Amino acid sequence: MKPLSTWFRDASRDLGLRLIAAFGLLLYTVFIIVPVLMSLRSSFTDENPLKSGSTWIGTDNYTEMLHDPQLRASVLFTLALAVGVTGVANVAGLLLAMLLNRTRLTYRVLRTVAFLPQVVSGVIVGFVWKAIFTQNGLLNETLTRLHVTDQPVDWLGNPHLAQLSVGVVVAWVLSGFTTVVYLAALQNIPQELYDAGSIDGAGASQRFRMITLRMVAPATTISVTISLITVLKLYDIIQVLTSGGPANATQSTAQYIVKTAFTTNRFGYASAVAMFLLALSAVIALSVTSVLRRREVDL
Amino acid sequence: MPRRTAVGRRSTALLAAAGLSLLAACSSTASGGAGGGSLTYLTFNTPTLTPAFWKDSIARAQKAAPGVSVKQVVAPSTDRDSYAKQLQASGQFPDLLQSITPAQYTEAGLLTPYEQSWIDQNFLLPQGNAIKGKVYIPPTNSQIIPLVFYNKELFEKARVTPPATWKQFLAVSEKLKASGVTPIELGGNDPFAAGMPLTGALSADVLGKNPQWIQQRHEGKVKFTDADVVAAATKMRTLVEKGYFEKGALNVSYADSIKDFNAGKAAMYPMGSWYLGSIPKDQWDTIGVFPWPTDDGSTVVPFAVGGSMAISTKAKDQKGAMAFAKAWSLDAGNLKALIEGDGAFPMLKDKTLDDYGVNVSPAFTDSYAFVTKDNTKVSSIGWATNDDALPGSLNNEFYAAAQALFNTDDVKGEMAKLDQAWDSATK
Repeated sequence: MKPLSTWFRDASRDLGLRLIAAFGLLLYTVFIIVPVLMSLRSSFTDENPLKSGSTWIGTDNYTEMLHDPQLRASVLFTLALAVGVTGVANVAGLLLAMLLNRTRLTYRVLRTVAFLPQVVSGVIVGFVWKAIFTQNGLLNETLTRLHVTDQPVDWLGNPHLAQLSVGVVVAWVLSGFTTVVYLAALQNIPQELYDAGSIDGAGASQRFRMITLRMVAPATTISVTISLITVLKLYDIIQVLTSGGPANATQSTAQYIVKTAFTTNRFGYASAVAMFLLALSAVIALSVTSVLRRREVDL
Repeated sequence: MPRRTAVGRRSTALLAAAGLSLLAACSSTASGGAGGGSLTYLTFNTPTLTPAFWKDSIARAQKAAPGVSVKQVVAPSTDRDSYAKQLQASGQFPDLLQSITPAQYTEAGLLTPYEQSWIDQNFLLPQGNAIKGKVYIPPTNSQIIPLVFYNKELFEKARVTPPATWKQFLAVSEKLKASGVTPIELGGNDPFAAGMPLTGALSADVLGKNPQWIQQRHEGKVKFTDADVVAAATKMRTLVEKGYFEKGALNVSYADSIKDFNAGKAAMYPMGSWYLGSIPKDQWDTIGVFPWPTDDGSTVVPFAVGGSMAISTKAKDQKGAMAFAKAWSLDAGNLKALIEGDGAFPMLKDKTLDDYGVNVSPAFTDSYAFVTKDNTKVSSIGWATNDDALPGSLNNEFYAAAQALFNTDDVKGEMAKLDQAWDSATK
C-alpha cells in the first residue's frame, strides 16, 4: 500500500505525461485519423471538388480501379522504382558510410556533404537534375566531349531511360539519408569485435559479412523501410523532372492521385486510389519490417 | 513477446507516417467564399507576366474602380486551374481568377457571367470564349495554336518556300533534312510542347472539316478512333518516322527549344503564337510564319480566344469584383504587355495595334493577319476555353499521346486511350 503523499506525487507526474500524450493523440487524430476516415468515406462516393454534394456509389470506384490501365502502369512503375531505389540507396549508403566512418575533420565535412541531397527540396533536386539530363545538359555535354557517345543520349525522352533517370535521382537523394543511418550504426560497433575477428584470422571480407553486416542489421530495417515508404509516396521530384512523361512512363501513383483529384476533378476515385496506396504501403512496410526483424534475430 | 509488441508499435507508427501525405490531399472540406473586406485575385507568373506587371496592373485597375481592395493570390505554377480547385476544396476559392478554363467551373455554378451588353459593346468576338451562350471571361485577346514559325535563311539555303499543303510540308522537310538542316524543332520534354504537331494536325484536318467535332464527341457521335482522326494523328507519327524532328526531341525542354530555334539550329518550329514574344529583335527579319498545312492547302486557323479574369459567384462584393474585372480587362496597358511579351492578339473593339503603342515584329503582324482576315477559324483542340474545351485532364492525355507517338506506331491504340480518358473524365 503506497503512502498517500507518494500516490499524489505519482498521480501528478502521470497526469502531466497523460496530458502530453493526450495532446499528441489529439494532433494525430486531427491530422491523420480524421483525414484518413474522410478519404475512406470519399472513396465510396462520386465526390467532385467543384460540386458541393456527392452521391454514395458503394464500391464502384474500387471496381473501376481494377480496369484502369493508367493506374496499373503507375503502380507497377512505383513498385519497380521502390524496389530498385531502395536496393541501390541502401548499398550506396552503407558503402559511403564505411568510407566516411573516420574521425578526421575532412571526413566530418564530407559526412555533411553526403547528407545534402536529403536536405535539399525535392523541387530543387528535380530542376537541377533536369538541367543535367536534358539534351544539351551537363551529362550529355560531358559524354560527348569525352567521346563516350557521338550523339546526346535521350535521358528523359526515351521511356526506359527516363525511368532509369528518375531512379538514379531518387536513389541519389535517398542515399544521403541511408548514409547517415548506417554511419550512426557503424559508429556503435565496438572496435574490439573487429580486433577479435582479426586475431581469429578473419579477412576484410569476412569481417564485413560476419561483423559489419550483422551489427548494422537494425539500421538496415529502419533504412529499408523508410526508403520504401518514401518512394511509394513520391511526387515532387518526378513532377519537376519529367512531369510523369514521356507518355506517362514515369507517372507515380501519387502523381496519378493528384491528377485524378485536381485535374480530372474525381475526388472520390482519387480517394479510392489513395486508400489502395495506403493499404499497399502498409502491406509492404509490414512484410519488409517483419522479414528484416526476423533476420536481425537470426543474425 | 514484449519485443514483438515494440516491433508492432514501430511498424504501426511507420505505416501511419506513410499514410499521412498520401491522404491529406484527398480529404475534403466544405466550400466557402473568401472572407475579409478585400477581393482575392488568383494570378500566375510567367516570364512576361511578372510580379511587377501584376502589381502595376492591379494598381491601375483599382484606380479605375475606386473603393475596391484586392489581395493577390499567386498560383505556384502556371497551372492555375489545378490550384483554383485546391483552393476550392479547402474553402478558399478566390473572388477573381485570371485566365482559368471556365468550362471546368460553370457546371458547378462557381462563376458569374458578364453582362452580354458590356461584352458586345467592347469586344470583337463577343462569343469567342462563351460557354452555352454566356461569357465568364472577357474575350480580351486570342492566340493561334499552333502556327509554324520558320527560319528564312535556312529556307533560302535549302531553296524551299513556306508550304501550304501537307504534301509540300513533307517535301520541304525532306529538302531541309537533305541539306543538313534539322527540319523541325520541338521542346518535347514539356508535354504541351510535344503536343503542338498533334494539335495542329487534329485542329486543321478534323475540326477544319467538322467544326462541331468536339460537341459531337460529347454526344458520342464521333470518336478519336475514327478513321479521319487516326489519319490526322498519323501525320505526327510520319514526321517522327521520317526523322524530321531534332534528335532527342523529347529530351529537349520548351525553354531550350526556343533557344535552339532562335539560334538557327532548326528550320521550323510549331508553337503557339505566344512564341512571337520570344523572337529576339535581331531575328525579327529572319523569322517568318505560316499556318499549319492542310491536305488541300486551304487556310485553317486553330484559334483560342483567351481573356482576363473570371468572377466567383461566392465573391461577397459582386459589384466591386465586376468593376475591377471590367477595368482590368479594358486597360490598354495590360494588353500592351501581353501583345509584346506573350504574342497575344488584342480583341478590343475599335482599336488598332497602334492604339496600344506596341512595337512588334513582322512575324507578329503576319500572324495577326490570320486573325483579322476572313478565313476558317476552328477551336484549337486542347486549348480552346469555350464550349470546345476538353473535359477534365484530357489535355494531359492528349499531350501524353503525342509523346507516345515518338515510340510507337500504334496510332489507333493511342487514340483509343484518348477515348477511354474522355469517358473517364466525363463520368
